[in-house]
Amino acid sequence: MSLITALLAGAIMYAVSVLYAGIGETFTERAGIMNLGIEGIMLMGAVTGCLTALKTQSLALSMLAVMLVGAVFGLVFAFLTVTLQSDQTVCGMAILVFGSALSGYLGKNIASTPINLKFQAVKIPLLGDIPFIGEIFFNQNILVYIMYIILPLSVFYIYKTRWGLKLRALGENPAVLDAAGENVFAMRYAYIIFGTVMMAISGAFVSLAHTNVWQDEMTAGKGWIAFALVAFAAWNPAKLALGALLFGFISNLGSNLQIYLPQIPSEIYAMMPYLVTIIVFIVSTGSFRNKRTDQPAMLAKPYNREDR
Amino acid sequence: MKKKILSLLLAAVMAVSLAACGGSSAATQAKEEPAAAEAADSTAAEKKDVKDLVIAEVHYSVVEDGGWAQAMHEGLLRACDELGVDTEKNLLTVENIAEEDTALVESTVDTLVDSGADIIFGCSAGYATIFAEIQPKYPDVIFAQQGNDVYDNIVEMQIRGYEGEFLAGYLCALMNEESDQLGFEASMDEASVRTALNAYALGAKYANPNATVQVIWADSWYDLDIEAANAEALINNGIKYMGMEASSPAVPQKCEEKGAYCIGYNIDMEANAPGAVLTSFCWNWTPIMKDIIQKTADGTIKISDNYYEGGECSKLAPFNDALVPAEIQDKVNELKSKLESGEVVVYAGELKDDKGNVLVAEGETMDDEVILAQEFFVDNVIGGKN
Amino acid sequence: MRGLKYRIRFEKREKISTLRVLLVTLLCVALALVFCGIIIAATGFEPLKVYREMFLKSFLSQKGFQKMLTASLPLIFCSLGVALAFRMNLNNIGAEGQYAIGVIAGGAFVFYGPHIEGFPGILLLALCCFLGGALWASIAAIPKALWNVNESITTLLMNYIALEILTYLCLGPWKMSGQNVAQTERIPEGLDLPELHVFGFDISVGIIIGIIAAVIIYIVYKHTTGGYELNVISHSTKSAEYAGMNIKRNVILVLAVSGGLAGLGGFAQYSGVTHRIMEGMPNGVGYTAIVVAYLSRLNPLVVVIVSLLFVGLQNSTVYVQIMGVSVRIASMMQGAIMLFVIAGEFFQRYRIIVTGKEVAAE
Repeated sequence: MSLITALLAGAIMYAVSVLYAGIGETFTERAGIMNLGIEGIMLMGAVTGCLTALKTQSLALSMLAVMLVGAVFGLVFAFLTVTLQSDQTVCGMAILVFGSALSGYLGKNIASTPINLKFQAVKIPLLGDIPFIGEIFFNQNILVYIMYIILPLSVFYIYKTRWGLKLRALGENPAVLDAAGENVFAMRYAYIIFGTVMMAISGAFVSLAHTNVWQDEMTAGKGWIAFALVAFAAWNPAKLALGALLFGFISNLGSNLQIYLPQIPSEIYAMMPYLVTIIVFIVSTGSFRNKRTDQPAMLAKPYNREDR
Repeated sequence: MKKKILSLLLAAVMAVSLAACGGSSAATQAKEEPAAAEAADSTAAEKKDVKDLVIAEVHYSVVEDGGWAQAMHEGLLRACDELGVDTEKNLLTVENIAEEDTALVESTVDTLVDSGADIIFGCSAGYATIFAEIQPKYPDVIFAQQGNDVYDNIVEMQIRGYEGEFLAGYLCALMNEESDQLGFEASMDEASVRTALNAYALGAKYANPNATVQVIWADSWYDLDIEAANAEALINNGIKYMGMEASSPAVPQKCEEKGAYCIGYNIDMEANAPGAVLTSFCWNWTPIMKDIIQKTADGTIKISDNYYEGGECSKLAPFNDALVPAEIQDKVNELKSKLESGEVVVYAGELKDDKGNVLVAEGETMDDEVILAQEFFVDNVIGGKN
Repeated sequence: MRGLKYRIRFEKREKISTLRVLLVTLLCVALALVFCGIIIAATGFEPLKVYREMFLKSFLSQKGFQKMLTASLPLIFCSLGVALAFRMNLNNIGAEGQYAIGVIAGGAFVFYGPHIEGFPGILLLALCCFLGGALWASIAAIPKALWNVNESITTLLMNYIALEILTYLCLGPWKMSGQNVAQTERIPEGLDLPELHVFGFDISVGIIIGIIAAVIIYIVYKHTTGGYELNVISHSTKSAEYAGMNIKRNVILVLAVSGGLAGLGGFAQYSGVTHRIMEGMPNGVGYTAIVVAYLSRLNPLVVVIVSLLFVGLQNSTVYVQIMGVSVRIASMMQGAIMLFVIAGEFFQRYRIIVTGKEVAAE
């Protein structure tokens, strides 16, 4: 495999590990809710995946359990932020603290123990044989392939369907939806739970596809990267994928440049993904020509019927 | 007042339970009696039964980190076990105490002393400065700190990790018949990491004078993605055998996936990637900790003591028989006994750094102080920092 | 047969009294403790015993209170900074990085600057740290003011860069020699933040500076025209523009001061507690500050109290661990208390009305 294909294939692995969470957060924020607890939910997903895989010896069952745990956290978060209209920042941070502590507790006895199950890379027949492209895109694990389907579907959903239109309105002006007889609360619950389920899958991707162990705090900040990339991508899943690929690519590139350009201190390479993301973000979203921002107007503001 | 009653009660309970323990077997009773008698005539603090000692350990992360903290915690558990210390009752473990949060470290020490700790093991190098400052406040407590021999008022302990890594480098170079190039995945540019890297490179050189070691830095103590990417970058550069200084199994797994081989680190990682891990470098703190605990009990420990141990403390896990041929295993074991007998010295002249300066002249060996601080990269390391 | 049919209705309160806020908050903490008590009991410990140990030692003993005072220094400043920015709807998630750069600027002064000690030296050191934090925040503030670039993303990502620089310095040029620890040499003792001894407590001057800063922010916000402008801008940028206020200047100013306060947090920790610069020194305080700021409802005076309580809670994890309870349970407790307290706000704002209507059942 040539260097560039290895780099790109690695970037895809990285991108997908934050994309599940990122798409989840995109939908949540489009619905007007900001969930800062991504990291905690990812860790819960990661540990649940490992625990169930050990117990049941089935990846399908573990993914089911992972999604269930994600949904439970989503339900709690939705109850707090939608029904009780609590402050979303604090709720998110609390979920983060709680989730990472609980995951550590649950995984205490299996920490660093290898699990004999893993999402292995599967080559897709025909497609996988295409030179260059096949090696990059079609020699991955099944969660990556599922992402190939989810990604276009989510773009289509947001921009091309009636439901997507309602979703965007939910974050822009929920009062209008409410007046039109839509159940704003139920919709927000649904999107929050969808979001947390996706975040939990992201975590399981780290523990069951990227490696096959559970380790404390193993997501190491991925949740925050996902959170940053969502706004970076202007709440558009397609741009989100590009952002995640860019981030993963530059990060991987740094490893190789240490060999080819050793004059530059390696710390610079470590900073590079963040630096490039910031610059691209400023250039792409800055209102240099009075462009309007895509941020959902009512993001992080609780909806209350009486305040209408 | 209430607190006093409580502690009295606690003491009474402990006394009763101790008596029960002692009564369970005649042998232990016989052992305890002289100790008790001696304790009566000298001051109680000077000599204690090892079973009465309260031992505390402070960790910067949780102890199940699959790396450094776990190695230290397990080492201490084994030491306690071998000495017959009841770890349920007399071992206090405090986790997640960040060394940067010095106020929290101080308050932890304070609390541990209040809880009766006789020895406090600091399991991360960063506690050294704080322990050294706080020690005069608690002259009766022994502070045993992982670190270099810098302070006179705390017991410092360090393992000659270079011995194990020297063997690891030797093993990789022997296995690597097709080329001279080896790899190394390193976390942060810190002395303990340099020790591992330099020793690995020296071991490789001992097997093959032309061997070079390409290092790639993660600049992070734990990051699955970067560690995997670094391993892949090494493999893409044609490297088949690598050492590592990292806590996650990302490097071994990447090696297994791409058909390369590596040496595990911290704990035995063979199970994580049976197709790639030749052996693992493991820390074994048990002998050191056992000695410190026993000496504290006997009252013979000096707070200026310093431990810098190799041999059994710095060892390789059992070889992966499926990957390492028997004759190579024999060769590595042979070198191991040569290291132990002193026939082979890891840091012996002539030794040059990667800029061509002579570190150790022909026929001489390096001082421990220089080895501990490791402010150099040996000459066959490629990609060392400036 | 007769039955009762209940209807639960929520009604918004016109006015929320401080007493009510206190009572509901206390009740929520109690509920959180009940919740965690179940977890503690499930892991085989006696919740009441654990709590007693925790609260007696961490909050109600002189030692515990002293520890709380010392450990809360950086958190108070960072939270004040974050709260200030949030008040103007500026999401400064970058206190962590601003803290780090503040410390670095302070270190630059100590290592390369003139050797001034005593009061003027400390003042200059504080100024350097403040400017460092302010400068780092400005990098995010200027694109926000000029091109409306989302500051929460830039400040968040800049944290990683700042920490990387700090690590580089602590392992590289600033590392103390002969050691294998990522720390710098000790700061000259003449630059130590002094301590006052009052009622048997060692109170760092840093705490006093923190309280003064909180009071100043409070007064500026409530009683000056500048504060009034900020108030207007935070409610509606449109009306602020109509009134001819300079929004851009205010955005930069507020974010810079916010970052500067985080930098002062670094100063207080460096000069008052650690006396050394260490790798990873902010240690998550910048993120905790976000929680503290919101829990205090952005009120600078409350920030000081909440910071103290938060640190007390963190300190208590040590006591719990010595009893044998897992550190994770202790952390879960923190998360649970946060969740319950914030959920309780609803019951401060709303009145619950339960109406029972007698209905005849068939």
